[in-house]
Amino acid sequence: MLLLQQIVNGLMLGSVYVTVAVAFTLTIGILNFLNFTIPTLFMLAGMVGWGLAYFGLPFGLSGPLPWPLALAIGIAAAILCSLVVERFTFRYLQTKYGDSTEHAIPLVSSLGFLLILENLVRIAYGGDAQRFPGPSGDLTAEFGGLFFRVPQLVSFFIVLALIVGLAWIMRATRIGRGLRAIAENPDAAAILGVETGRVVPMVFLLTGLLCGLAGALFAVNYGEVSPQMGEDIGSKAIAGMVVGGLGSLWGAVAGGIVVGLVEILTVHFFGADAVQVAVWGALLLTLLARPQGLFGHNAIGKGKL
Amino acid sequence: MLLDVKDLEVTYGRTRAVRGVSLSVAEGEIVTVLGSNGAGKTSLLRALQGARKPQGGKITFDGRDMTNASPATRLAAGMALVPEGRQIFVSMTVHENLLMGAYLRGEGGLDRDLDAIYERFPNLATRRDMKASVLSGGEQQMLAVGRALISRPRLMMLDEPSLGLSPLFVAKLFALIREINDGGLSILLVEQNTHMALDVAQRGVVLELGREMLSGSAAELAADPSLAEAYLGAA
Repeated sequence: MLLLQQIVNGLMLGSVYVTVAVAFTLTIGILNFLNFTIPTLFMLAGMVGWGLAYFGLPFGLSGPLPWPLALAIGIAAAILCSLVVERFTFRYLQTKYGDSTEHAIPLVSSLGFLLILENLVRIAYGGDAQRFPGPSGDLTAEFGGLFFRVPQLVSFFIVLALIVGLAWIMRATRIGRGLRAIAENPDAAAILGVETGRVVPMVFLLTGLLCGLAGALFAVNYGEVSPQMGEDIGSKAIAGMVVGGLGSLWGAVAGGIVVGLVEILTVHFFGADAVQVAVWGALLLTLLARPQGLFGHNAIGKGKL
Repeated sequence: MLLDVKDLEVTYGRTRAVRGVSLSVAEGEIVTVLGSNGAGKTSLLRALQGARKPQGGKITFDGRDMTNASPATRLAAGMALVPEGRQIFVSMTVHENLLMGAYLRGEGGLDRDLDAIYERFPNLATRRDMKASVLSGGEQQMLAVGRALISRPRLMMLDEPSLGLSPLFVAKLFALIREINDGGLSILLVEQNTHMALDVAQRGVVLELGREMLSGSAAELAADPSLAEAYLGAA
């Protein structure tokens, strides 16, 4: 029963990784771009949410805000920031230097955004971890002897709904088809009137939404935020994405859950120090057996979403 | 004239792919652009579709200056391209490929247009919900033409549509081109299959190294000794 309880905990933790891994896989799958601002967007939602809930709006415009409002503004900040990144890394470089065949430059500039934003937050709020004043973690529900913390359970279903909604957007809507067309063949997409400059910001908007939401849910469930909080989540989400298969939506879901389970079970059996070894060991073993990941295709960057 | 191209210049780096080419397509006409590999046919079409900005000259469509218009603007005005190599989306279903043809125009009357495409191409109707990758080369070409038709074009530009098709499908393809032209659609046909192209077209232009070598009615071109020597002799 204890093991089963740990599996439940792993699923709950995994749902945070899933959300961030889906954000990574979306940009890789559509734009063939490993977006390193993703961990920062995650952190930004948590830290902005904490700042607003603790201090209130800047310049003394308000007292401390209620935490749900503070987190909603934090998510909005992550979305806004993601769109700024699109405008000043991806689009700028693409219009200036032609197509995005040179992937290293957007990647490095997104890494630059990561470090700048992380350190700006550090300057504003200090580098220490802060306790997030969310709902009480003691709210639990029991089903068949297993305990679920209510905020985690709610988070799990929010993530589930978001991903089902995202899969539906990609499959059944005009904008989803436009994105898949760009992912598979940008030239053919242009011939059919898909305007990259109008559609690509949608990818960054979704990225901001996913990461912001993940950061907010993390703050609520684990009760702690810090300027570094994106680093660990980001690396584990990348591991989850690769395990699931680059550019595959359901692969990222499966991979994120696998990483969450591996982490919790490793802590249970071997202690916390073994977590990174286990997660990245699992990644390497997966790649040895299936280089394309669990759900990936052989042709990286070609129409998988 | 529906399409009017004057003194078009297209340059890739230091290569002048299209050098001062002029051509026109009247309403309801089929005009073919002939020439060997590297003659500038595809560069000409890329400039007409909007993927490549011309360095000189003017493109007018239905009285509107399209020289620097975006691909989407041209498509919305009625210029549709069936690209070389078909360029269908193999990760999408047949139906989704057709819906991509309607990306710009929206949903109005779409169901009726889709039904008309499926009626015209029964092979596509039976594979409607399969991935387009299962289609044969000929069926993929039909899908590419169907996808362009769904955008409700006034001018369809086809880039080497017969390339890589079996003789049976080539014959079907040219019958199809004639049929959609009979429905009132104007056609600009870029081809290496000189015989077949001159057979369906009313007029033609022959390019060589980016220049216009010959132009005239299809009958004149078919009878021209220099063209016969260069392109028809081997066929």
